[in-house]
Amino acid sequence: MSEVTPTEPRRLAAEARDRVRFEEEALELADQVYRVARRLVGSREEAEDLVQDTYARAFRSWQSYTPGTNLRAWLLRILTNLNIDRGRRKQRAPEMQPLEEGDYYLYNKLEESSREPASDQDAVVERLSQDDVVSALSSVPHDFRDVVVLVDIGDFTYQDAAQILDIPIGTVMSRLHRGRRILKSALAEEAVGGS
Amino acid sequence: MMFELDPCEKCEEWMQPYLDRELNDAERAEAELHLDGCGYCRKRYRFEETLRVFVRDVCSEQMPLELKQKLASLRTPL
Repeated sequence: MSEVTPTEPRRLAAEARDRVRFEEEALELADQVYRVARRLVGSREEAEDLVQDTYARAFRSWQSYTPGTNLRAWLLRILTNLNIDRGRRKQRAPEMQPLEEGDYYLYNKLEESSREPASDQDAVVERLSQDDVVSALSSVPHDFRDVVVLVDIGDFTYQDAAQILDIPIGTVMSRLHRGRRILKSALAEEAVGGS
Repeated sequence: MMFELDPCEKCEEWMQPYLDRELNDAERAEAELHLDGCGYCRKRYRFEETLRVFVRDVCSEQMPLELKQKLASLRTPL
Protein backbone atom coordinates (compact mmCIF):
# COMPACT_ATOMS: atom_id res chain seq x y z
CA MET A 1 0.00 0.00 0.00
CA SER A 2 1.36 3.35 -1.01
CA GLU A 3 1.18 6.12 1.51
CA VAL A 4 0.57 8.66 -1.17
CA THR A 5 -2.95 8.26 -2.48
CA PRO A 6 -3.44 9.85 -5.86
CA THR A 7 -5.83 12.70 -5.92
CA GLU A 8 -9.29 11.97 -7.29
CA PRO A 9 -8.80 13.81 -10.61
CA ARG A 10 -5.58 11.95 -11.20
CA ARG A 11 -7.20 8.63 -10.48
CA LEU A 12 -10.05 9.44 -12.84
CA ALA A 13 -7.64 10.50 -15.57
CA ALA A 14 -5.73 7.23 -15.22
CA GLU A 15 -8.95 5.27 -15.34
CA ALA A 16 -10.10 7.10 -18.45
CA ARG A 17 -6.79 6.37 -20.09
CA ASP A 18 -7.08 2.66 -19.28
CA ARG A 19 -10.62 2.58 -20.57
CA VAL A 20 -9.68 4.26 -23.84
CA ARG A 21 -6.84 1.80 -24.29
CA PHE A 22 -9.17 -1.11 -23.56
CA GLU A 23 -11.76 0.11 -26.05
CA GLU A 24 -9.18 0.62 -28.76
CA GLU A 25 -7.70 -2.82 -28.26
CA ALA A 26 -11.14 -4.42 -28.24
CA LEU A 27 -12.14 -2.65 -31.45
CA GLU A 28 -8.97 -3.79 -33.17
CA LEU A 29 -10.13 -7.35 -32.56
CA ALA A 30 -13.63 -6.78 -33.93
CA ASP A 31 -12.91 -8.36 -37.32
CA GLN A 32 -11.72 -11.55 -35.69
CA VAL A 33 -14.62 -11.60 -33.23
CA TYR A 34 -17.09 -11.14 -36.09
CA ARG A 35 -15.48 -13.90 -38.14
CA VAL A 36 -16.09 -16.40 -35.34
CA ALA A 37 -19.56 -15.06 -34.53
CA ARG A 38 -20.61 -15.37 -38.14
CA ARG A 39 -20.00 -19.12 -38.06
CA LEU A 40 -21.47 -19.70 -34.61
CA VAL A 41 -24.90 -18.42 -35.59
CA GLY A 42 -27.11 -18.98 -38.60
CA SER A 43 -27.38 -15.57 -40.23
CA ARG A 44 -25.40 -12.43 -40.83
CA GLU A 45 -28.02 -10.36 -38.97
CA GLU A 46 -27.78 -12.56 -35.90
CA ALA A 47 -24.00 -12.36 -36.00
CA GLU A 48 -24.08 -8.55 -36.24
CA ASP A 49 -26.54 -8.28 -33.33
CA LEU A 50 -24.49 -10.64 -31.25
CA VAL A 51 -21.25 -8.76 -31.89
CA GLN A 52 -22.92 -5.43 -31.07
CA ASP A 53 -24.32 -6.79 -27.81
CA THR A 54 -20.93 -8.25 -27.00
CA TYR A 55 -19.17 -4.93 -27.44
CA ALA A 56 -21.86 -3.05 -25.53
CA ARG A 57 -21.38 -5.42 -22.61
CA ALA A 58 -17.61 -5.43 -22.90
CA PHE A 59 -17.45 -1.63 -22.83
CA ARG A 60 -19.72 -1.57 -19.78
CA SER A 61 -17.77 -4.16 -17.85
CA TRP A 62 -14.28 -3.42 -19.09
CA GLN A 63 -12.96 -3.28 -15.54
CA SER A 64 -13.52 -6.99 -15.09
CA TYR A 65 -10.98 -7.68 -17.84
CA THR A 66 -7.49 -8.42 -16.48
CA PRO A 67 -4.92 -6.53 -18.58
CA GLY A 68 -2.30 -8.80 -20.08
CA THR A 69 -4.67 -11.75 -20.48
CA ASN A 70 -6.17 -12.84 -23.80
CA LEU A 71 -8.63 -10.10 -24.71
CA ARG A 72 -9.91 -11.91 -27.78
CA ALA A 73 -10.81 -14.95 -25.67
CA TRP A 74 -12.44 -12.65 -23.07
CA LEU A 75 -14.62 -11.09 -25.77
CA LEU A 76 -15.55 -14.48 -27.19
CA ARG A 77 -16.50 -15.69 -23.74
CA ILE A 78 -18.99 -12.83 -23.48
CA LEU A 79 -20.22 -13.58 -26.98
CA THR A 80 -20.82 -17.28 -26.44
CA ASN A 81 -22.57 -16.59 -23.13
CA LEU A 82 -24.85 -14.06 -24.78
CA ASN A 83 -25.53 -16.54 -27.53
CA ILE A 84 -26.56 -19.17 -24.99
CA ASP A 85 -28.64 -16.61 -23.07
CA ARG A 86 -30.57 -15.97 -26.24
CA GLY A 87 -31.95 -19.43 -25.85
CA ARG A 88 -30.28 -20.90 -28.85
CA ARG A 89 -29.90 -24.21 -27.03
CA LYS A 90 -33.64 -24.43 -26.59
CA GLN A 91 -34.15 -23.95 -30.30
CA ARG A 92 -32.11 -26.97 -31.09
CA ALA A 93 -33.93 -29.60 -33.04
CA PRO A 94 -34.44 -32.92 -31.29
CA GLU A 95 -31.09 -34.59 -30.93
CA MET A 96 -30.14 -36.15 -34.23
CA GLN A 97 -27.26 -38.51 -34.42
CA PRO A 98 -24.96 -36.79 -36.89
CA LEU A 99 -23.27 -38.90 -39.50
CA GLU A 100 -19.65 -39.42 -38.56
CA GLU A 101 -17.28 -41.37 -40.74
CA GLY A 102 -13.54 -41.92 -40.43
CA ASP A 103 -11.01 -39.23 -41.26
CA TYR A 104 -10.24 -40.57 -44.74
CA TYR A 105 -13.88 -40.74 -45.75
CA LEU A 106 -14.18 -37.35 -47.49
CA TYR A 107 -11.02 -37.81 -49.54
CA ASN A 108 -12.12 -41.28 -50.56
CA LYS A 109 -15.54 -40.04 -51.61
CA LEU A 110 -14.09 -37.15 -53.61
CA GLU A 111 -11.61 -39.41 -55.32
CA GLU A 112 -14.23 -42.04 -56.10
CA SER A 113 -16.60 -39.50 -57.55
CA SER A 114 -14.13 -38.13 -60.04
CA ARG A 115 -13.36 -39.63 -63.41
CA GLU A 116 -9.84 -38.36 -63.69
CA PRO A 117 -7.44 -39.12 -60.85
CA ALA A 118 -6.29 -36.10 -58.90
CA SER A 119 -2.74 -35.05 -59.54
CA ASP A 120 -2.43 -33.30 -56.20
CA GLN A 121 -4.35 -32.66 -53.02
CA ASP A 122 -5.15 -29.05 -53.89
CA ALA A 123 -7.03 -30.30 -56.91
CA VAL A 124 -9.10 -32.60 -54.70
CA VAL A 125 -9.94 -29.76 -52.32
CA GLU A 126 -10.93 -27.61 -55.28
CA ARG A 127 -13.79 -29.98 -55.93
CA LEU A 128 -15.42 -28.42 -52.88
CA SER A 129 -17.11 -25.05 -53.14
CA GLN A 130 -17.43 -22.31 -50.56
CA ASP A 131 -21.17 -23.04 -50.39
CA ASP A 132 -20.47 -26.71 -49.66
CA VAL A 133 -18.27 -25.79 -46.73
CA VAL A 134 -20.54 -23.12 -45.25
CA SER A 135 -23.58 -25.33 -45.58
CA ALA A 136 -21.82 -28.41 -44.17
CA LEU A 137 -20.49 -26.42 -41.22
CA SER A 138 -23.93 -25.04 -40.39
CA SER A 139 -25.28 -28.59 -40.27
CA VAL A 140 -22.83 -29.65 -37.55
CA PRO A 141 -24.62 -29.74 -34.15
CA HIS A 142 -23.86 -26.69 -31.96
CA ASP A 143 -21.75 -28.39 -29.33
CA PHE A 144 -19.34 -29.70 -31.93
CA ARG A 145 -19.52 -26.69 -34.22
CA ASP A 146 -18.62 -24.24 -31.44
CA VAL A 147 -15.34 -26.01 -30.88
CA VAL A 148 -14.51 -26.43 -34.57
CA VAL A 149 -15.26 -22.75 -35.19
CA LEU A 150 -13.16 -21.55 -32.25
CA VAL A 151 -10.15 -23.75 -32.97
CA ASP A 152 -10.13 -24.18 -36.74
CA ILE A 153 -11.56 -20.83 -37.83
CA GLY A 154 -10.88 -18.60 -34.82
CA ASP A 155 -7.43 -20.07 -34.24
CA PHE A 156 -7.92 -20.42 -30.49
CA THR A 157 -5.89 -22.90 -28.49
CA TYR A 158 -7.65 -25.82 -26.80
CA GLN A 159 -7.09 -24.04 -23.50
CA ASP A 160 -8.74 -20.83 -24.73
CA ALA A 161 -11.64 -22.76 -26.24
CA ALA A 162 -12.11 -24.59 -22.93
CA GLN A 163 -12.27 -21.29 -21.04
CA ILE A 164 -14.55 -19.63 -23.56
CA LEU A 165 -17.05 -22.48 -23.52
CA ASP A 166 -16.50 -23.33 -19.86
CA ILE A 167 -15.86 -27.01 -20.55
CA PRO A 168 -12.87 -29.25 -19.70
CA ILE A 169 -10.00 -29.33 -22.17
CA GLY A 170 -10.52 -33.07 -22.76
CA THR A 171 -14.06 -32.28 -23.89
CA VAL A 172 -12.71 -29.64 -26.28
CA MET A 173 -10.40 -32.23 -27.81
CA SER A 174 -13.01 -34.95 -28.18
CA ARG A 175 -15.62 -32.55 -29.58
CA LEU A 176 -13.08 -31.09 -31.99
CA HIS A 177 -12.09 -34.53 -33.18
CA ARG A 178 -15.68 -35.66 -33.68
CA GLY A 179 -16.81 -32.27 -34.96
CA ARG A 180 -14.25 -32.33 -37.76
CA ARG A 181 -15.37 -35.81 -38.75
CA ILE A 182 -19.01 -34.77 -38.74
CA LEU A 183 -18.07 -31.74 -40.85
CA LYS A 184 -16.22 -33.91 -43.34
CA SER A 185 -19.09 -36.39 -43.55
CA ALA A 186 -21.46 -33.47 -44.18
CA LEU A 187 -19.06 -32.12 -46.81
CA ALA A 188 -19.05 -35.47 -48.55
CA GLU A 189 -22.86 -35.35 -48.58
CA GLU A 190 -22.83 -31.80 -49.97
CA ALA A 191 -20.20 -32.44 -52.58
CA VAL A 192 -20.96 -35.89 -53.88
CA GLY A 193 -24.19 -36.98 -52.26
CA GLY A 194 -24.75 -39.83 -49.82
CA SER A 195 -23.04 -43.13 -50.03
CA MET B 1 -7.72 -51.64 -29.85
CA MET B 2 -5.00 -49.72 -31.64
CA PHE B 3 -2.53 -52.58 -32.05
CA GLU B 4 -5.15 -54.74 -33.72
CA LEU B 5 -5.79 -52.19 -36.47
CA ASP B 6 -4.07 -52.49 -39.79
CA PRO B 7 -1.34 -49.84 -40.20
CA CYS B 8 -3.41 -47.59 -42.48
CA GLU B 9 -6.40 -47.69 -40.12
CA LYS B 10 -4.13 -46.79 -37.26
CA CYS B 11 -2.66 -43.98 -39.32
CA GLU B 12 -6.17 -42.71 -40.01
CA GLU B 13 -6.90 -42.70 -36.27
CA TRP B 14 -3.71 -40.73 -35.69
CA MET B 15 -4.25 -38.14 -38.39
CA GLN B 16 -5.89 -35.45 -36.28
CA PRO B 17 -3.63 -35.82 -33.25
CA TYR B 18 -0.63 -35.93 -35.59
CA LEU B 19 -1.57 -32.71 -37.37
CA ASP B 20 -2.46 -31.11 -34.03
CA ARG B 21 0.94 -32.19 -32.64
CA GLU B 22 -0.76 -34.16 -29.91
CA LEU B 23 1.07 -37.47 -30.42
CA ASN B 24 3.94 -38.35 -28.12
CA ASP B 25 7.42 -38.77 -29.60
CA ALA B 26 7.18 -42.53 -30.02
CA GLU B 27 3.76 -42.37 -31.68
CA ARG B 28 4.90 -39.54 -33.89
CA ALA B 29 7.96 -41.49 -35.03
CA GLU B 30 5.79 -44.52 -35.75
CA ALA B 31 3.31 -42.44 -37.74
CA GLU B 32 6.11 -40.84 -39.75
CA LEU B 33 7.68 -44.18 -40.49
CA HIS B 34 4.38 -45.40 -41.85
CA LEU B 35 3.79 -42.19 -43.83
CA ASP B 36 7.25 -42.42 -45.40
CA GLY B 37 6.37 -45.74 -46.91
CA CYS B 38 2.64 -45.31 -47.57
CA GLY B 39 1.50 -43.03 -50.39
CA TYR B 40 -2.14 -43.82 -49.63
CA CYS B 41 -1.98 -42.30 -46.14
CA ARG B 42 0.41 -39.52 -47.19
CA LYS B 43 -2.07 -38.25 -49.78
CA ARG B 44 -4.85 -38.21 -47.23
CA TYR B 45 -2.76 -36.36 -44.65
CA ARG B 46 -1.82 -33.72 -47.22
CA PHE B 47 -5.44 -33.40 -48.22
CA GLU B 48 -6.42 -32.82 -44.59
CA GLU B 49 -3.86 -30.04 -44.22
CA THR B 50 -5.05 -28.35 -47.40
CA LEU B 51 -8.67 -28.82 -46.35
CA ARG B 52 -8.14 -27.11 -43.00
CA VAL B 53 -6.68 -24.04 -44.69
CA PHE B 54 -9.47 -24.08 -47.27
CA VAL B 55 -12.21 -24.30 -44.62
CA ARG B 56 -10.70 -21.41 -42.70
CA ASP B 57 -10.38 -19.26 -45.83
CA VAL B 58 -13.87 -19.80 -47.18
CA CYS B 59 -15.50 -19.41 -43.77
CA SER B 60 -13.81 -16.09 -43.06
CA GLU B 61 -16.33 -13.44 -43.84
CA GLN B 62 -15.35 -9.79 -43.75
CA MET B 63 -17.08 -7.69 -41.13
CA PRO B 64 -19.49 -5.16 -42.71
CA LEU B 65 -18.19 -1.61 -42.50
CA GLU B 66 -21.42 -0.34 -40.94
CA LEU B 67 -21.01 -2.77 -38.06
CA LYS B 68 -17.50 -1.49 -37.47
CA GLN B 69 -18.89 2.03 -37.27
CA LYS B 70 -21.69 0.95 -34.94
CA LEU B 71 -19.19 -0.69 -32.60
CA ALA B 72 -17.05 2.44 -32.54
CA SER B 73 -20.17 4.47 -31.64
CA LEU B 74 -20.67 2.26 -28.55
CA ARG B 75 -17.50 3.66 -27.02
CA THR B 76 -17.77 5.74 -23.90
CA PRO B 77 -17.75 9.43 -24.86
CA LEU B 78 -14.65 11.21 -23.66
